[in-house]
Amino acid sequence: MAERICRALRDGALEGEHAPALTIKDSIQSPFGSLVFNHVLSQLSSFIVAQKSQSQGIVLVAFSRGPLYYEELFKSKGNDVASSNKWIRVLDCCTDPLGWRSKLMESGRIANLTLGTSTTASLYKNVKDLDKLLLAITELGKELVGDGKGRFVVAIDSVSEMLRHTSISSVAGLLSNLRSHDQVSCLFWLLHSDIHETKAIAALEYLSSMQVSAEPITRPVNGQRGNSVKLPFLEQNLRGGKIHVRFKRRNGRVRLMSEEFCIEQSGIKFTPISSEAEMIAQSLVPKVQFNLQLSEKERNDRAKVVLPFEHQGNGKTIQIYDGRKSLNEDKPEMQYTSAEKVQTVKDSGRGEIIYFRDSDDEMPDSDEDPDDDLDI
Amino acid sequence: MAGNKPRGSSFSRNFSAASNTISQIPGLKHGPNGTMFLSSGIPDLDKILGGGFTLGSLVMVMEDPEAPHHMLLIRNFMSQGLVHKQPLLYASPAKDPRGFLGTLPSPMLSKDEKSRDRDAEQEKGLRIAWQYKKYFGEQNSELQRDGKSEYCNDFDLRKPLERHFYSGQQIDCISLQDSADLTTFHDRCSSFLSQTPRNDRNITCAGRIAIQSLGAPQCDFSDKECDMLSFIRSLKSTIRSSNAVAVITFPPSLVSPAFSKRLQHLADTLVSVKAIPDEDKELAKLLTGYQDMVGLLSVHKVARINTQVPTILEATTFSMKLRKRRSLILECLNQAPVDGSTGSSYASSSSCSGSSKTGAIDF
Repeated sequence: MAERICRALRDGALEGEHAPALTIKDSIQSPFGSLVFNHVLSQLSSFIVAQKSQSQGIVLVAFSRGPLYYEELFKSKGNDVASSNKWIRVLDCCTDPLGWRSKLMESGRIANLTLGTSTTASLYKNVKDLDKLLLAITELGKELVGDGKGRFVVAIDSVSEMLRHTSISSVAGLLSNLRSHDQVSCLFWLLHSDIHETKAIAALEYLSSMQVSAEPITRPVNGQRGNSVKLPFLEQNLRGGKIHVRFKRRNGRVRLMSEEFCIEQSGIKFTPISSEAEMIAQSLVPKVQFNLQLSEKERNDRAKVVLPFEHQGNGKTIQIYDGRKSLNEDKPEMQYTSAEKVQTVKDSGRGEIIYFRDSDDEMPDSDEDPDDDLDI
Repeated sequence: MAGNKPRGSSFSRNFSAASNTISQIPGLKHGPNGTMFLSSGIPDLDKILGGGFTLGSLVMVMEDPEAPHHMLLIRNFMSQGLVHKQPLLYASPAKDPRGFLGTLPSPMLSKDEKSRDRDAEQEKGLRIAWQYKKYFGEQNSELQRDGKSEYCNDFDLRKPLERHFYSGQQIDCISLQDSADLTTFHDRCSSFLSQTPRNDRNITCAGRIAIQSLGAPQCDFSDKECDMLSFIRSLKSTIRSSNAVAVITFPPSLVSPAFSKRLQHLADTLVSVKAIPDEDKELAKLLTGYQDMVGLLSVHKVARINTQVPTILEATTFSMKLRKRRSLILECLNQAPVDGSTGSSYASSSSCSGSSKTGAIDF
């Protein structure tokens, strides 16, 4: 459920724990990851403005969409842009990620294009160097919340864009360093799952504590792509879809949840699953054994059973259990006599050889009388 | 024969007077076939493995990307080493591995252990109606709870380890993130292991190496699988000739299947942890005690050194529970009683995966 995720992000990290991290995944069949991202971002920003969350600010690392887009977004959601200086900083990695524009402007090749700048955005020109990026993010965060106990949220517009420029191991390093940073309250990022190798996706899932993947409501029946895909399916998938949430809880269990969403003018709306969706039962099939432990009552009952041929001794007549009744009075006596039979273990000061007979169908030795068992 | 055999073979080792000092070293005990054990920090795991981790062996833990249970194993392992004053080497992909030392659990006080003893005593009332009872010796000799130096402590995961356990201890912490390759780490391990060599003279102490998440994506060498394999191979051979145990956890989902298989074969003792889904009605019907479970632990291989006889365990999968949310216990999985009227739980549990909806072409 989307609300639950936003609340988990809002509550942030406990002392000494890694910050919760959310991966938002989508694919071409259901390309609404960015809308989910916007939704989470605006929810968190409203929590922060209302001062209900652990963090006091957001650092937005914008790779695929520029700061102007986000200004528009916040305006449309009703957040006050003027005061946004207090709670958001945008690290603009979209306008000039590799520094080419500024190089061209310096050499005079292109005219100095003044893009609309906002007070909250700072330009970052070196996306290949993730150490510097980490430093830039943390500095922006400290600018926002101060150096002490304040915490901030880190939102990464698209990790897919980051992976275009650098390797998965450096991206993973950046994300894990952010998670273990003292002042980061939570972080979330967007990922397009069908343009990366499975190894990269697995690595990012390993690092995140929650995953939301947007999927189409219905898949084409034949699995064929291209022209033979029926138009109604396409239309339906463009209007909405499902999100599947995997939530790694603190106690080590995994929570699976699903919700439907539909796209509207104002954005994205989440509704609980309406149809009787197929619940895929992922049973683990561990090798389960039957319960061999006894409860108290069973233990007592077992103690009352009279076993045949047990040393009942003491000159009494031997009582052979015939399966009909249980006898109580001989219980303490029997335990006492069998306890005497336990020999003390040989002392471990000397080595010795003890021979255990291997099989029962050997010829009986002369010193061993198989009738010794019976108490007759 | 019911119960545990007190000895594994017909021969018992002749322990000379000089080597009796070994039993006085806390944290080590003799095992079968001339091997020695040190404790894993989890009493149930020691019992399952037949005494503990064999000195000179390599223990691999396969992680589940969705649950942090391997950290419980590593924490207990490290704490046990500190309690027994054994030198410790810890490596992890975090930037500051020293911070992890603050999360190590503290041994539980003895008054909390009384509930354990009660269970042990009830087993002594085993009544056997035949003559072989006289061969049953002390089954529970490991459960001596009096005496300050126990072989294996029960750890309270809520209480951090007290400071006096850290002082004067040799604890090396290494971060794997910054190094481009494994050569420096390999040298550190070799120098650590040279402190506890195995020779005919008396053993003074045993060392512990804990490597967390080898192959995690943050490390630069994670895609150089050949390098990692040759590192593990040489570590295994060095460990064999020293008195130490190495516990290595790795995420099999993030490495190639061939590499994962190779690591599994390299391990002497192989254990895997698995997450369980939350509020899964199917599992709740299938297993008793589902509510308390936090995960599953499977034992795939148990180290057998100096012998050709494998250990065949009665059960390989155990449920991990936190008793009173404090200490880790491992229990056999027990199947909940099948409701005879529905009769469907067996059918649904026998399918490995896939939907419970039967298709048209399902047998």
